[in-house]
Amino acid sequence: MIVAERKPLDVIRQMIAPYAKVLIVGCGTCVTVCGAGGEREVSFLHDELRLAQAKNPDGMHTYSEYTIKRQCDPEFIDLLDAKAEDVDAIISLACGIGVQAVADHFPDIPVLPGVNTTFNGVSSEYGVWDERCATCGDCRLDETGGICPITRCTKGILNGPCAGPKDGKCEVSKDMDCAWVLIYQRLERLGQLDKMRRYYPARNYQVVPRPRRIVVKSNVTAGAENA
Amino acid sequence: MRTTDSDRKHYPRESRLEDHSLMPPCQAACPLHMDIREYVDLVAQGKIMEALAVIRSTNPFPSVCAYVCTHSCEDACRRCLVDSAVSIKAIKRFALEFGGDRMIQTEAKTTHAEKVAIVGSGPAGLACAYYLRTMGYEVTVFEAHSEIGGMLRVGIPQYRLPREVLDIEEQRLIQMGVEIRTNTRVVSLDLLFEMGYKAVFITIGAHQSLRLGIEGEESTGVIDGATFLREVNLGLKPALGNSVAVVGGGNVAIDAARTALRLGSSDVTILYRRTRAEMPAADTEIEQAEEEGIKIEFLVAPIKVSRKSDQLTVTCIRMELGEPDEKGRRRPVPIDGSEFDMNFNSLITAIGQTPQNAAEFGVRTGRGSTIQVDPQTLITNKVGVFAGGDAVTGPATVVEALAAGKRAAQRIDDYVRHRYPIDKNGTVIMDGGLSEHTIEKIRKIERLEPPVTSSKTRAHDFKPVEQVYNWQAAVSEARRCLRCGMGAEILFQDKCASCLTCLRVCPYDVPYVDESGTIQIPAEQCQACGICIAECPAKAIVMRKPSSYLHINEELEHAIKSFNKSEFKPSIIGFCCQYGLFGTGTLANLWRGARAGIWIVPVLCVAKIEPGHILRAFELGAEGVFIAGCGEQCARENTNMWIGQRSAKVRKALYEIGLEQERLAILNTSGQNEDLTAILDDFTETISRLFLASVIMQEVKR
Repeated sequence: MIVAERKPLDVIRQMIAPYAKVLIVGCGTCVTVCGAGGEREVSFLHDELRLAQAKNPDGMHTYSEYTIKRQCDPEFIDLLDAKAEDVDAIISLACGIGVQAVADHFPDIPVLPGVNTTFNGVSSEYGVWDERCATCGDCRLDETGGICPITRCTKGILNGPCAGPKDGKCEVSKDMDCAWVLIYQRLERLGQLDKMRRYYPARNYQVVPRPRRIVVKSNVTAGAENA
Repeated sequence: MRTTDSDRKHYPRESRLEDHSLMPPCQAACPLHMDIREYVDLVAQGKIMEALAVIRSTNPFPSVCAYVCTHSCEDACRRCLVDSAVSIKAIKRFALEFGGDRMIQTEAKTTHAEKVAIVGSGPAGLACAYYLRTMGYEVTVFEAHSEIGGMLRVGIPQYRLPREVLDIEEQRLIQMGVEIRTNTRVVSLDLLFEMGYKAVFITIGAHQSLRLGIEGEESTGVIDGATFLREVNLGLKPALGNSVAVVGGGNVAIDAARTALRLGSSDVTILYRRTRAEMPAADTEIEQAEEEGIKIEFLVAPIKVSRKSDQLTVTCIRMELGEPDEKGRRRPVPIDGSEFDMNFNSLITAIGQTPQNAAEFGVRTGRGSTIQVDPQTLITNKVGVFAGGDAVTGPATVVEALAAGKRAAQRIDDYVRHRYPIDKNGTVIMDGGLSEHTIEKIRKIERLEPPVTSSKTRAHDFKPVEQVYNWQAAVSEARRCLRCGMGAEILFQDKCASCLTCLRVCPYDVPYVDESGTIQIPAEQCQACGICIAECPAKAIVMRKPSSYLHINEELEHAIKSFNKSEFKPSIIGFCCQYGLFGTGTLANLWRGARAGIWIVPVLCVAKIEPGHILRAFELGAEGVFIAGCGEQCARENTNMWIGQRSAKVRKALYEIGLEQERLAILNTSGQNEDLTAILDDFTETISRLFLASVIMQEVKR
């Protein structure tokens, strides 16, 4: 799941400074779950902005808020049409995908990001998030016991560990597990330690063409169904 | 200046405000279905007058119930599963005494031409009269005895129900316009109809004692329990002698024994043919009787009474328990050859009662001379004649009689108005116990019994035995309520992002993921703390009973309005726990203006305060905000952790906006008011300093 973090209030206030009527738009999916841009956070930002305005009466803004189910699909964004009728700017608290989709939908309104989209991650307890996937497009988790060295090793090395780990912890931080030690332990447990002996050639990140696109529907020419 | 066009209501706000709460087990168990959870909660908040209003809305004579109710609500209370039931009856008594029930006046207007006659002025008859009069009928109550009240007057001893309680209720009925005719025995129903009554309600009670059916029962010195209690209660003083035996194990037997003791008999023995476990009398009654020195002989039954001069010789036989009967109680079986003699001055029989002369009215009677009625319409075999109370059910409790009277009033109204008789009851009853898992996490708090007068002094007079709680005890006891069936509910499933926050923050581990992968918050386990509601990032969860949650905003606006009118500066908003003594004691003092400039927003547990509430207080002009929970009195141990989480978020926002973080304070009180005053003084000083600085800064800028 996508994990994002609310931008500092100063940054948001600077972004909206030129605009009088601002619509704050939340997203009901990933950013709701990670507590960055769901309905509660939208309300909180709304409260913060109003308080800031009450205490620093320099700029005059009018705020409104709305949270839709998912900002990455145009059908849901349609619901914003009425809300965005005469606003000067939209702050989207969705991930970068949502911000762009909303911007696509409203070509005449500036759409501003309210959060920093940070990583794809997992949560194992209330309020704590850990990165797990770098969306490299070439998954090798079968070779590494289900532990991704690209995201979980600070150096992202494919043939680890490096010479740095001490007592199973990374040399970068004593609180961080060495991904390659975890991989070794997991493979040992699975009886697949031979995978540690193989050499994995370095990957060429340069050839990944961006933006990527995936088409899952078949390319069927009209009238050629029975051909 | 503030100009906002806040549009937060894209889901119908009304659905958040609707009451989705389930009927708690106590309310379901109460024959009158009193809103017990509500008034106990109000007492816990120190809102005694409001609690009294709730009590009076469903109970015609709460003062009577406060003394003599058999409280089936407490038997159903799920707190039993944790430690012991909430002392509901004593809380009700407290609310009545401290809320000024005696001062309440009832009024009713005649809006219907039809008149209704009520035969018998027991609890059922009076309740029926009360409700019919409230509906606007002219009501006449006929009572054969010299005073109204039926069994309340002639059956229940004064030490359990002081007579002034009945007198007050009688006065209230008269004030409402109910006509009461005492010393009037109704002999003919036809005559009543001729007199113009449209319907008649027969509640003649069950005043006829059952006979033992043994040799010598007619001897002088043998008296039946109902007659004995009636004579004592109407002012006579039967000569019993020094040693008295009472036969039976019900409440009447205990009443008779304790009354005999109070009349001066020093040696009182109860003879009961089963064991303590089978005794139908209320446990507290039995305990209090034993404390007063009454002996109880179990597994003993009299088989013969003979009289020599002023001495009664009662021949008894020992019993043993055999097979269970149809009610599941084990049948006593005599042990052959175990006969023995006991000597007493008198013998009181109290083995059950039936209605007296019910057949006189020409209505069909059934088992034990009880009147037979249609269970739905409550009508007898005679047109326009209804019956209820003990006369129909056989001896039962006061609250059951009140409920019968209330229901009869509705049925008589239906009959007179030609409506189809149906009970309107749409509320879903919450069933299911607490899981072991939840019980473990609920804080154990021992039940506080109301004080009783000492057994030494009380055994010699007819003054009430049970005393009323003091303020502190009542509020503490009311706080033990688990508030069943009004907890969290995922109202907007379409909004729920299945983020599992509720599951992870619940102090009782109540929410779970079901087999289909949906998050469920089972109503019967939820303890209504409100933490998941404040934390849900999608705002998909609501309180089933929303009033206690949504009122924070209203109270805040109210406080702001007050301080805008006031000239005291700086203005400080305090979010304070409304529950318990902290709320009622300390808050009340602050409220009286002891600390000028401090305005209190009462909160039903500070765990329900959201960061938005605090920001809003600042936005609307508060210079400082403090949060004061009830500390160690709280039902949960981690409430402070949640306050800490939310205030950290607010402090970060304050910092970003350019306000000092000291403007938000959390007062960790342990319920000691002196400490709180000192802490508040410090806080007020800090805020005054910051306020002064900001005023100077503004001047400088100009």
